Amino acid sequence: MSRDRIADILASVESFPSMPGAAARLLTMLDNPEITAAEIEAVLRYDPGLTSGVLRLANSSYFGFAQRIGSLRQAIVMLGTKQLVQMVMATCMSTIMNQGVQGYDMGAGDLWRHSIAVSVASEGLVRALKLAPEEEIFTAALLHDVGKLVLGAFVQQGKADMAVDVATEQEFQEMEKQILGIDHAETGARILEAWSFPQRIIDAVRYHHRPDAVDPADTMIDLVHVANVLCRMIGVGIGNDGLQYAPAPGAIERLGLKTRHLEIVASETLKWIDELADKLTLGKEDG
Amino acid sequence: MKHVVVVSDMKIGKNGDTLVTHALGSCLGLTVWDPVLQIGGLLHAMLPLSKINKEKAAANPYMFVDTGVPTLFRQLYELGAQKQRLVVKAAGCGNPLGKNEMFKIGERNHTLMKKLLWKNNVMLAAEDCGGTQSRTVYFDMGTGQVTISSGGKENAL
Repeated sequence: MSRDRIADILASVESFPSMPGAAARLLTMLDNPEITAAEIEAVLRYDPGLTSGVLRLANSSYFGFAQRIGSLRQAIVMLGTKQLVQMVMATCMSTIMNQGVQGYDMGAGDLWRHSIAVSVASEGLVRALKLAPEEEIFTAALLHDVGKLVLGAFVQQGKADMAVDVATEQEFQEMEKQILGIDHAETGARILEAWSFPQRIIDAVRYHHRPDAVDPADTMIDLVHVANVLCRMIGVGIGNDGLQYAPAPGAIERLGLKTRHLEIVASETLKWIDELADKLTLGKEDG
Repeated sequence: MKHVVVVSDMKIGKNGDTLVTHALGSCLGLTVWDPVLQIGGLLHAMLPLSKINKEKAAANPYMFVDTGVPTLFRQLYELGAQKQRLVVKAAGCGNPLGKNEMFKIGERNHTLMKKLLWKNNVMLAAEDCGGTQSRTVYFDMGTGQVTISSGGKENAL
């Protein structure tokens, strides 16, 4: 039975919406260190909705640019190509991730708010721990639970079996694996593989509950892992899986994490969630 | 009328109102009700001690248990509520799985709340705290009834 279910789940991954065209083209350009501003501009020029979405996001006070960014050319110059591509990804994902998720009992917007919270908290941890900036962390954190969009329907079907285990000390993703044969982290990684994402982001999604299994360990994955547990604790957009996850001892040790880091990041994260949720939703005027 | 209390916020209601707060994880949800005046307040505090971020605490005392709980009581006293009549209930304060003490913010929220109430001679009438489940609290101002919704089930507290 489990084997058939995995086949069904993987078939759902295959039929999951493909990445919007402009974002997909930009992704293939990411690995090219020679990418130029003109090339990025050429891709985005024909998608005015996406461009205005990116400009809205770039002008969010979260990013703290003193000067208003009014044009695509200016955005490329001020943000740099890497950060601009992160913003394009984020803007593209909003329509896909803003929906409700069955199985996890998440209403419309819950998954998106949780995703934004984990992005903000991940970057907050980088600052609190005085680590070197991680260029891809915003996107990796934003996408960490993308697999729930596919797995949710199967969690819904398997609910009767899963409820039996709710009171145990078993982590939710282990329960998914045991009952469905695959967990939401692996499902998400498969989606990003189909989208030809950079390997490091795929790994961050795949291992966001098991950062200690990554060899060699990756600070970015450790950070997304901790930020995710923290954002579940502060209750932003969480579903019926609640706090049924454990922080990984290795990641905590590698990061040199202390209670005060967690609390300071929690206290700073909240105010950005509404701000970014607003800026990251493609408005009607943007098509 | 239904009023939603978001994370790090507090609202006061009167007869006819229902105060609601969603998705309590590690956060403390505290309800305080005066049965004579039929008024009450619902606090959704995120972290135990305000000293971690004094600037935030000055701007919003409801982010922290040590500033949020006293402010909630003071607001109700200003409206005429009397200490000996107050019915106080608590929910939330959950913790992730595993033994790591650092992540037990819920437990620290709970301990601090109990200490504050004890020091001020206020009894806790009921509580639904701890565990890994996310909780939603409904607080009816007319009856003082507190209902906890969690994992698809609803229970009166």
